[in-house]
Amino acid sequence: MDNSFLHSKKLLLVDDEPELLKMVTAILRGEGFQHLVTATKMKDGVTVAKTEKPDLAILDVMLPDGDGFSLMEQIRAWTDIPVIFLTARDEAVDKLAGLGLGADDYIAKPFLPQEFLLRVYAVLRRCYKEYASVLKLDGCTVDFSRAEVDKGGEILPLTAMEHKLLETLAKNEGRIVTVDTICEALWGDNPFGYENSLNAHVRRVREKIEADPSKPVSLLTVKGLGYKLVARK
Amino acid sequence: MKAFGKYISKYLVTFFAFALALLLVNILAFALTFGGIIFGEYSFASPVNMLEAVAADLSASGVSEEIKQDLNRNHIWAMFLNTDGGCDWTVSLPEEVPTQYNIQDVAVFSKGYLKDYPVFVQSVERGLLVLGYPKDSFMKLTGNYFPMRVVRVLPIFTIGMLAVDILLLFFVYCFSKRKISKNTEPIMAAVKTLSTGEPVHLSIHGELSEIADSVNQASRVLSRQNEARANWISGVSHDIRTPLSMIMGYSKLIADEDDVDVAVKRKAEIIGQQSIKIRELVQDLNLVSQLEYEMQPIHKKTVRLASLLRSYAAELLNTGLTDEYSLDIEIAAAAETITFDCDARLISRAINNLVQNSIRHNPNGCNIVLALNYADEAISLSVSDNGVGLSAEKLKELNEKPHYMESTDSRLDLRHGLGLILVTQIVNAHKGSLRIESEEQQGCKFTIVFPQ
Repeated sequence: MDNSFLHSKKLLLVDDEPELLKMVTAILRGEGFQHLVTATKMKDGVTVAKTEKPDLAILDVMLPDGDGFSLMEQIRAWTDIPVIFLTARDEAVDKLAGLGLGADDYIAKPFLPQEFLLRVYAVLRRCYKEYASVLKLDGCTVDFSRAEVDKGGEILPLTAMEHKLLETLAKNEGRIVTVDTICEALWGDNPFGYENSLNAHVRRVREKIEADPSKPVSLLTVKGLGYKLVARK
Repeated sequence: MKAFGKYISKYLVTFFAFALALLLVNILAFALTFGGIIFGEYSFASPVNMLEAVAADLSASGVSEEIKQDLNRNHIWAMFLNTDGGCDWTVSLPEEVPTQYNIQDVAVFSKGYLKDYPVFVQSVERGLLVLGYPKDSFMKLTGNYFPMRVVRVLPIFTIGMLAVDILLLFFVYCFSKRKISKNTEPIMAAVKTLSTGEPVHLSIHGELSEIADSVNQASRVLSRQNEARANWISGVSHDIRTPLSMIMGYSKLIADEDDVDVAVKRKAEIIGQQSIKIRELVQDLNLVSQLEYEMQPIHKKTVRLASLLRSYAAELLNTGLTDEYSLDIEIAAAAETITFDCDARLISRAINNLVQNSIRHNPNGCNIVLALNYADEAISLSVSDNGVGLSAEKLKELNEKPHYMESTDSRLDLRHGLGLILVTQIVNAHKGSLRIESEEQQGCKFTIVFPQ
């Protein structure tokens, strides 16, 4: 999925390790992010957040003059920007795993650059939805805002369920999404025994998006696990 | 009351041996005290012997001088009554003793005393020989008869009484033993728990409270040491994380850089791969120590295992599994809706460690199968591969040899990693069991079983 529309977002990075800040900045710049501001202390973090008005804050849990949790509280006092925590402690992972603190995600150190970027993009996409809601597939183009499929000029409307199914897969484009995750997105918590309904929805979606529904190339079945949506290369 | 057999211990034998010894001591003391008297009684001067000696020496005129001397020496008097009740002869007869008797007199004294002298009689050919012993030398039983009923019952009574005594002794023994057990059992249980490294707290009042205090103290010391060790490991692993992030980050940046030599890129990739291994190690080490010292609270939730297994497999495939490896997932229909109270993060970690094991030991690739089954009230989760497998020797070692984390033996082979010990710990923390099956060149199968 094209994430370049997110590169204009301003990111605030707070970590007590200047070397780590330098590296993370390099990773983000290499990816195309232009607006990056940093701080090494909680106090500076608050000041920078006030003056620069970032779109996303990536905060270390351990700071020399406080912790990331209280920094988030201070930032959240005047703005609702998404927050991702960086942590080097397992205990903090446990605390954050529940995400009861209102953080949007957490990344445990040490992390791989690709893992880091994946999380950043996911949070940005979720919070700033003004992205191009059109997904180009091999056999058609899906317009999510209009809930329509354009199959070589033929306009096919999507039902609410089909739209949700495609949207769930599109958010994880190129990645396997398990039947459990899909059922949960479609039918809510405790989605037991919906496998047959899901099969039916998938079949109908394929009829709309695939050139040959019996030989799907966009909406692929991953045996025993779930489905994968592949965009046009 | 616990098992009866518990009381039939060697202490019971000791107890009865002591009772027996006590009885023997009593008999000995009795013998020492009364032996002299009894032997004296059956010596030459005893009534029976004396009567016999006198009767044998008897003649019409009396007895020989020798016998007379014997009688006098023992202060015994003698008389011979003829069939008419008259006295034929006497030896040292006291004055108060009459010399003429009628039939009633004889009947009365023959059983007992004559003028307070204990007398003994023997019927001889022509009359009655009477020997009188000094006053207060013997006590005679004048009413010496027992009803036959008593005589018949006596053996049964004796045996019965003995049995009752033994039973009572046994009860006293059991009672005392039970009392001791009751007081020591919590202490023994605590010491046993302590020996497994877990903390205990005893609250016992009374005479054993000092021991309880010592046990509590030992437990506190142990907990403190464990805590310090776990904190130390967690501190080290924490400090490693930030520098490791930078190694991982920069090696990736170098590998992705456009204007860098291919050989340099390759080296950067190797640095990246190895640093991922360090990350796994640090995470395993920290988790192992947290679980070992129970520092890590287990966050149990009701989890649908089929769903957990699928999302693990999807994640593994999404992050990229190289082409040499393939992954299959087999979830039995019966296991599809099975839920289990567990820490999902830890279970995923255990599965991951087993999968990474298969990958690491099969550098030329293999097919990995994740399977979930439910049968006979037990959930079984297995990770198997069709790779190189383990030799019988290695399998035995894996099953039996303690890991170096668990042993103080520094000569132990340090080759196999922390991965498996963490799996074992996670399985144990969920009260499950781990089974390893393998044959050389036939692949390897790790099965985790959780009883429902």
